[in-house]
Amino acid sequence: MNPVAPSDFVLWLTLAAMWLPFISFLTIFFITRTQLALSLAVSVSCAAVSLLAAWYLLLGLPAAQPPVEFKMLWMAGAEARISYGFLLDPLSRLMLCIVASISFLVQVYSLGYMAGDDGMAKYYSFLSLFAWSMISLVVAPGLLQLYVFWELVGLSSYLLIGFWHHKFSASEAGKKAFVMTRLGDLGFFLGIIVLLLHLGDLSILKLNAQAAAKLSAGLVTASAVLIFMGVVGKSAQFPLLTWLPDAMEGPTPVSALLHSATMVAAGVYLVSRLFPFYAASPDALMVVLAIGTVTMLLSSTMAMVARDIKQVWAFSTVSQLGFMLMGLGAGSYFAGVFHLTTHAAFKALLFLCSGVFIHHFGSNDMYDIARGGGRRLKVPMITITIAGAALAGVFPAAGFFSKESIMGALAGLPQPGWLAAGLAGAAMTAYYTSRLLFVLWFPRQIAAPHHEEHGHGEAAAHSAFGYWAMGVPLLILAGFALVLGFFGDGILNFLHWGRPPEFFHHVWLAPVSLILVACGIGLAWLEFGRKKAAQAGFLSRLPAVEALFANRWYMDAFYRCMLDYVVYGVFSRLFTLNDRRVVDGGVDGVCRGTVGGGWLLSFLQSGLLQYNLFTMVLIIALVGLYFLVMH
Amino acid sequence: MAAKLYMFLPETAYLLMGLVLFLLSLPKEQPGGRVYVWALCLSLLGVAAAVAGLPQKGLIFFQAYRVDLYSQLFKLILSVAMFLVVSICWPLTGVERRYKPEFFLFLTTCTLGMMLMVSAVELMTLYLALELSSFSLYILVPLRSGDNIDIEAGVKYLFIGITASCVMLFGISYLYGAAHSTYLADILEKLPLWIHQPAAAIGLLLTLSGFFFKLAVFPFHFWAPDVYQGAANQVTTYIATVSKAAAVALLVRLTSLTGGTSLYLSYILIVLCVVSMGLGNLVAIVQKDLKRMLAYSTIAHAGYILMGILTMNELGYSAAVFYTVAYMIMNFAAFMVVVKLASQGQDLKISDLAGLHRRSPLLALTLMMALFSLAGIPPTVGFTGKFLVFAAAMQQGHFWLVLVGMINATISLYYYLMVIKAAYLAEPETEAPPLVIGMPTRLLNYLLIVVMAYLGIFPQQVMTLAENAVKQLIWGS
Repeated sequence: MNPVAPSDFVLWLTLAAMWLPFISFLTIFFITRTQLALSLAVSVSCAAVSLLAAWYLLLGLPAAQPPVEFKMLWMAGAEARISYGFLLDPLSRLMLCIVASISFLVQVYSLGYMAGDDGMAKYYSFLSLFAWSMISLVVAPGLLQLYVFWELVGLSSYLLIGFWHHKFSASEAGKKAFVMTRLGDLGFFLGIIVLLLHLGDLSILKLNAQAAAKLSAGLVTASAVLIFMGVVGKSAQFPLLTWLPDAMEGPTPVSALLHSATMVAAGVYLVSRLFPFYAASPDALMVVLAIGTVTMLLSSTMAMVARDIKQVWAFSTVSQLGFMLMGLGAGSYFAGVFHLTTHAAFKALLFLCSGVFIHHFGSNDMYDIARGGGRRLKVPMITITIAGAALAGVFPAAGFFSKESIMGALAGLPQPGWLAAGLAGAAMTAYYTSRLLFVLWFPRQIAAPHHEEHGHGEAAAHSAFGYWAMGVPLLILAGFALVLGFFGDGILNFLHWGRPPEFFHHVWLAPVSLILVACGIGLAWLEFGRKKAAQAGFLSRLPAVEALFANRWYMDAFYRCMLDYVVYGVFSRLFTLNDRRVVDGGVDGVCRGTVGGGWLLSFLQSGLLQYNLFTMVLIIALVGLYFLVMH
Repeated sequence: MAAKLYMFLPETAYLLMGLVLFLLSLPKEQPGGRVYVWALCLSLLGVAAAVAGLPQKGLIFFQAYRVDLYSQLFKLILSVAMFLVVSICWPLTGVERRYKPEFFLFLTTCTLGMMLMVSAVELMTLYLALELSSFSLYILVPLRSGDNIDIEAGVKYLFIGITASCVMLFGISYLYGAAHSTYLADILEKLPLWIHQPAAAIGLLLTLSGFFFKLAVFPFHFWAPDVYQGAANQVTTYIATVSKAAAVALLVRLTSLTGGTSLYLSYILIVLCVVSMGLGNLVAIVQKDLKRMLAYSTIAHAGYILMGILTMNELGYSAAVFYTVAYMIMNFAAFMVVVKLASQGQDLKISDLAGLHRRSPLLALTLMMALFSLAGIPPTVGFTGKFLVFAAAMQQGHFWLVLVGMINATISLYYYLMVIKAAYLAEPETEAPPLVIGMPTRLLNYLLIVVMAYLGIFPQQVMTLAENAVKQLIWGS
């Protein structure tokens, strides 16, 4: 379908949704930083307007209208034109809505969570920056704009992860996130350059429609795989998955934002954005499928042994992103995007609930929270259970439906191995999720009720405003996590312009996966839930395996060794030598020569007027002579 | 007749302004800020007149005075720059109190001279206009008061100026000899045929030297360091901004007379361009005085502008015009900081900037932005200007020239960074009190920062304007 230009109303609405967060960032960062209340008001109201605009764009426009594209020429060269603008099609409208909603809820929640923090205004300016970059990424009509904001998303998450930069681990984690994602972005950028060189145009619509016809198959695969490297970094896929669990060092609402709608979601969004382009190359899809599967399995195992509540969710994010990529890799655009949508709701909820516990008990360890009496906090306890059910894929929570559609896509593949891996992953997900929930619900000993409550963040947690600021987003998200699943068909129709492809339903699939999920939950119940359970997983009887999982399959250790021996030991040393001897020496020499030249000339630049005038006349005479001689 | 007078509107406004300022200079006792307010209001009126005159077109005064988009655009640039310079002339430190009305009066006549200059299409008119602006400056430079100030700078300026004028008149006599007319329109008809004769080429080149002097192109640059340092800070600001625009306007207009056919002329210009860049940048490195350093950087920038002019085609000319606008903005920003910082009107050493980022973060930011822009770091307007000029030269096949230009840009980065380092990193020996700057100055700072960034990212509008103006040049109609 050919794109149409936006009407004035849509144009201004979209621009408002895109740019208000940025205006809020500028305002807070440069002007109102010292006035906290004003900064908060600016940030939250901008986010609210952006939210309303996004919802209108999702629901107010007719579903089946052709994509709306707006482009302003930014730079034009002989071979390429680079424009700035936006593209509204079902996918970007849906995602825009998700991003705006989650970032608004996170901003409201943070009113309670961050109350009393010194850098709160700065924190809100970064949140706004984050929202701006992600929204602009989502509606980008061209790959270059997408890439620019892709990097800005990386930058703002770096700023937020390292927000408590006085904590060494926080600044380290921020650095790790930045460096590892940059590694993938290198591939992404190379992919963009390949496409630019061969197509001369980076428009997403054109890329999706024409790339297969204009490029050779090998070139499509190569550029798709290169771009996928960026996805691997951003969405923390194998082998670049270890940065995400470390990114827990930021404030918890940031994790909620990071894990649900922004940052890591950007990777999966990119593959969906370019899905027709990827679909043109079966090999590239196979790479996506394989990476997704490996990541999903690896990170599920890591989640089974983690004790830190945020880490469990972090590993689960990695594995759910793996699920999404499996769905996309299996050729189902809808499955991937649907899971992205439901996951955004329940994962944001999981983190925000955990945030309440962490805020209240000052600990990330699930056993500590349980002992502290976590289950007395009714609202978060109930909502985390709903979210957990959605994550585990229990009917009728949202995760059940989206995971079913992924399994359906996997079942359509000729090799049964992918489906088996997917089902195994679903069972593991159910196991680790219910493990955590059972630990929280059925603690072994509970401390006295009034003991812990005078701890961390007391003032904020006890003020009624803070309580509701944190509570209401939880309830709203819980609502979404419950009902979103029933909108599957609606989203399917919406995404495919009202003409969904034929979908083969495997009748046996739902019972089989439900049974597996039940097995996972049952196992967790035996080990953690029932009265006499030892609250130790079966893995603790296999110390070697447990250590393997707990150490993240020694991936970090491997990277450390690579860094120490190969990068630092060989390359850095050689380059340092080269730097010192050759480059520095050379540059120093040139610099000394230049400065010396300056001194020399400044002596010639004598202040005596008669010499000045003489020089002038001499040079004029020489010029005259030159003309005479040349003719 | 009325229509013709309307064409003369900006100049009329400036004549009126001169008259008012002259009357104000008559009383013996000078009350404090009244002159400043008058000058500010009148120069704002001048801007309005220049805007109103923008769409005018035609020939007046016996065909010797041409009004078109090109000249009117430059008049607008001149009047805006004049207004900005006047706006930072309060408190007018560094000029004796009894001379304050004269100070503004001569700024006005100088600008008036330049306005006449950009419209003049007859050599004698041109020369008279040039002298009107030059003589005003000869008086303005020695007006400075303060300790340890001598009139050396003024004398030097005068002597080098009149030598350049002599050379220019000599050149004009050749042109007249070749074309038997002093009208540029007649010269334009004959010059392309004659340009391969040494007499015509030398004549044109010598005629240009009056404007090389204004722009401080090698070998007419000797005055720049002494005058920049020796004149009052506000006068230096004026010389460094307003007077460059007129020089570029005329260099473009006169070189366009050849129709771009003279290879030898462009060879000479290449040499002057390279030497100006190299000499300016190298000597700037070793300067300790901030204004002196900026003077040498001016010489280097004159080289960059010349690079656009020597291509002698539309692309290069419009690049040069864009560069001039960019240069005026960023140079004005840098000098504004100097003026605000030297509260007693004294000269500033680079080391005096130490601790500026604590004394006034805004001024430090403006200074940094201006210097980055002068050095040509993206996304500032200076980068775009350099890019356009280099691109125009590249298109004409001057690869080596562009390479030299780039090396020079790198060298210049060194001394600009030294200043930024002093402002941001160096610790002052004695802690100076914070600088208090008023709301208007703050707004001016914000405006300059935004404009420098905005034009760096979105240069299109100014670029188009420059292109349209250049199309109006003599050969265009």
